[in-house]
Amino acid sequence: MKIEATSRTPLIEINSGYCLIKGECYPEDISEISIPIMKEIEQELLSVEKFVLELELYYFNSSSAKLLFDIFDKVDEAAADGLDVQIKWNYRSGDDSMQEAGEDFEEDIKNSTFKMQEI
Amino acid sequence: MNTDELHNILLKRKTFFCYSGPLTEKILTAISVAVRLEIGENAGNERAEKIVFGNFVEQAQNIIRYSSEKTIQEDETSGVGTVALSLSDNKVLVEAVNAVDEKQMNTLTRDLTELKKMDSAELKSAYRNRLKDGPPEGSKGAGLGFIEIARKSDMWDFEFVKEHGKILFIFKVWS
Repeated sequence: MKIEATSRTPLIEINSGYCLIKGECYPEDISEISIPIMKEIEQELLSVEKFVLELELYYFNSSSAKLLFDIFDKVDEAAADGLDVQIKWNYRSGDDSMQEAGEDFEEDIKNSTFKMQEI
Repeated sequence: MNTDELHNILLKRKTFFCYSGPLTEKILTAISVAVRLEIGENAGNERAEKIVFGNFVEQAQNIIRYSSEKTIQEDETSGVGTVALSLSDNKVLVEAVNAVDEKQMNTLTRDLTELKKMDSAELKSAYRNRLKDGPPEGSKGAGLGFIEIARKSDMWDFEFVKEHGKILFIFKVWS
């Protein structure tokens, strides 16, 4: 699955155990991206041996924070069941707010590998 | 008011952006580009820039979703309100105004008074709990907007003004 970025939504790519979410994230209607993303991730988790979730966000609104939390929750649950799950949280150099957001999410991730990376 | 008075008032209060009227998600998409540029010019640093833009988006979406005055704009329901950005003591002030009904006023008063009392650790835990538990009844988003604003901003305040049988909700946040 690939959904191109718009000025308010990120590039989303989900393919063979890899999911990339990159860009701005404050959609007009969160369900326009949350429904396809959650559906695709759920299917992927059933069929892969390893799952890598890579995020590079510049700004996300509070509705998107809930979506991100739900994605992390879903993949972390799969990790608890034994799947090898890696989460990469990339943030642009000097972007304190995205660094802090990553640190916040990390606190609730119990079973996956979580890596923060300044890019 | 004469046009020159409007011009002078906005200049005097250092308002560098102001939108007033029916607001829709499409309009928000269009003005976001300009607002972001202007915030870039006026915010103290990159961190403040992000926070101010976040405040603007959350406030604009609150007007769209919760204003009790609605119109239909090209098949899209709009919320009528005002959102303004101004320079205030080396910070950027985001102000939002929209009409609310009595019930909304009571809920907002209860929730915002509660948030006012919280310190940063309590706000953080309120944010995490809301993420886990999902939105409260009546929310059209994640119910996180005001908690996020309270966590990240330097100062915020709210009030209600009653005029001509209408209740106006006024929210101000400085970053």
